[in-house]
Amino acid sequence: MVLEGFDFTDFLFDLIYQATMICIDNSEWMRNGDYSPNRFQAQADAVNLICGAKTQSNPENTVGVLTMAGKGVRVLVTPTSDLGKILACMHGLEIGGEMNLAAGIQVAQLALKHRQNKKQQQRIIVFGGGPVKYDKKVLEMIGRKLKKNNVALDVVDFGEEEDAKSEKLEALVAAVNSNDSSHIVHVPPGSNALSDVLISTPIFTGDGEGGSGFAAAAAAAAAGGVSGFDFGVDPNLDPELALALRVSMEEERARQEAAAKKAAEDASKGGEQSTSQDATMTENVAAAPSDAENKTNDLMDDENALLQQALAMSMDDPATTAATRDTDMSEAAADDQDLALALQLSVQDGAKDQSSQTDMSNLLADQSFVSSILASLPGVDPNDPSVKDLLASMQSQSEPEQKNNEDKAPKEDK
Amino acid sequence: MACMHDHSCEDHDCSSDWSLYKHIDLSKVSALNEAVPGSVKSVFKAWEHRLNSSEGQLESNEGDPELIVFISFTSDVKIKGISIVGGADGTSPSKMRAFINRDGIDFSDAQSMQPIQEWDLAENLQGVLEYQTRYSRFQGVGNLTLHFPENFGGDTTQIHYIGLKGEATQLKRDAVANIVYELIPNPSDHKTRAESGGEFANLE
Repeated sequence: MVLEGFDFTDFLFDLIYQATMICIDNSEWMRNGDYSPNRFQAQADAVNLICGAKTQSNPENTVGVLTMAGKGVRVLVTPTSDLGKILACMHGLEIGGEMNLAAGIQVAQLALKHRQNKKQQQRIIVFGGGPVKYDKKVLEMIGRKLKKNNVALDVVDFGEEEDAKSEKLEALVAAVNSNDSSHIVHVPPGSNALSDVLISTPIFTGDGEGGSGFAAAAAAAAAGGVSGFDFGVDPNLDPELALALRVSMEEERARQEAAAKKAAEDASKGGEQSTSQDATMTENVAAAPSDAENKTNDLMDDENALLQQALAMSMDDPATTAATRDTDMSEAAADDQDLALALQLSVQDGAKDQSSQTDMSNLLADQSFVSSILASLPGVDPNDPSVKDLLASMQSQSEPEQKNNEDKAPKEDK
Repeated sequence: MACMHDHSCEDHDCSSDWSLYKHIDLSKVSALNEAVPGSVKSVFKAWEHRLNSSEGQLESNEGDPELIVFISFTSDVKIKGISIVGGADGTSPSKMRAFINRDGIDFSDAQSMQPIQEWDLAENLQGVLEYQTRYSRFQGVGNLTLHFPENFGGDTTQIHYIGLKGEATQLKRDAVANIVYELIPNPSDHKTRAESGGEFANLE
């Protein structure tokens, strides 16, 4: 996926690189079925989701996994950005023994210390299912050591509900916490899956805006139940596909808003406030034209005229600046015909082979590459405005544009 | 080694000597064990403001006097001297150990590694003490890590000012970040901006 000219900080992408170690509890207490299907499986699902979210929010994030019980603390995979490797190591884990929280955290700290990219922030996520045998004092000392070395800690307190356990874990997180970087989440047994509960917590959404896009989408999807999934795709089952679809829709919407905004500026009209429009990307869109590279600016100019027509045709209210930062996309899609069209198109496209789609769109997006191909075709002048428009349209998934271009393409035959 | 300023600083512009703070890349300055994250940036300022702690100071966590300060420069520098202004009531650091051009040093590393130089510090509340470096070892410094293991008995360690004296070269020490490896050169990958209308670059 190519996302040009977007302000990543407000989008899905985290500008903070993180190295995360996840400490899994595979003790005997994980056989219990009070979380469906059993505690261990619920934990594994949550871990998969977290790994996916972290690796996708920033390609330079790395995640590692270790188990705390069994014969002893064992590092399954050191921090890596390869999601496949991480998910693969989750298979074939054996349940047994007792969770060793202190040793697990210390080994995690050591694994993080030897991360390859020292610029990454260090974070440990602990799944505490079994009972905690360490004293509160010992845990606080461990917490202080983590804080001293600038390591953040997230704790998921689930499974066994002993008297002191929650208190001890709270004390641990309080000792580590500096500036709200560390969190603890208590998940009581129930019908909600562990991963669903975690999605809306700071563990997923991260310290700042970072994963909030992903989390918000997944939360909206999960909350809506089976029928409410944004694109008919379960983010839990196929997070990459869901992400790709959402991204193309965001791209589409942002581009239209940017073009419309430009149109409004050009026409020197006052901005019309439109509360029905989704405005997730509002601030980015304002920043995007100034941040965008030169070629993206040219793109906007070329598209502008076409988009004017498209917008006039399909939208009731011209989308300019909007007051709300509502991130509920299904509502926006319902309001806006054009977006719904783009949505469907994305779904169709998404149904194709994901990787080849990505490669193709990467290639097509590389304007210089496309120009060079066109230059080598006889009779085609890349500076011809209609060719430029064609190029512009290949960068987007807008149907109205494609219609216009199909009209122009026959004229191209020479 | 320390030396006293035995002249009045009004006519001699000491501040120009201590101007290496201008070459510090503040976004890459960090500290370990600081009580308020980000407070370390306030200790790098002009010499005449060294006693002015209105913007905050660097303080370690309660009950733990150790501090590590990581300073990254915008270009390689040569460091001649270092000046530290600490806090009162035993919160001044008593020892300083320096490491150069090492990334990501944490407390266990700092305690086990041999520093490039270490000093015993005195309480220097007026900021007139300067600690000289073995200049030959501080020639091409891209980043500097200072480790303060102990203080004069206070509960925390406070640092109000860190001054660096020396020269800046214009060289940068960064590792090459953007390397493209080609098996077979493809001219269309090497177009210059002027020719991005679709022509090939001139190969000479």
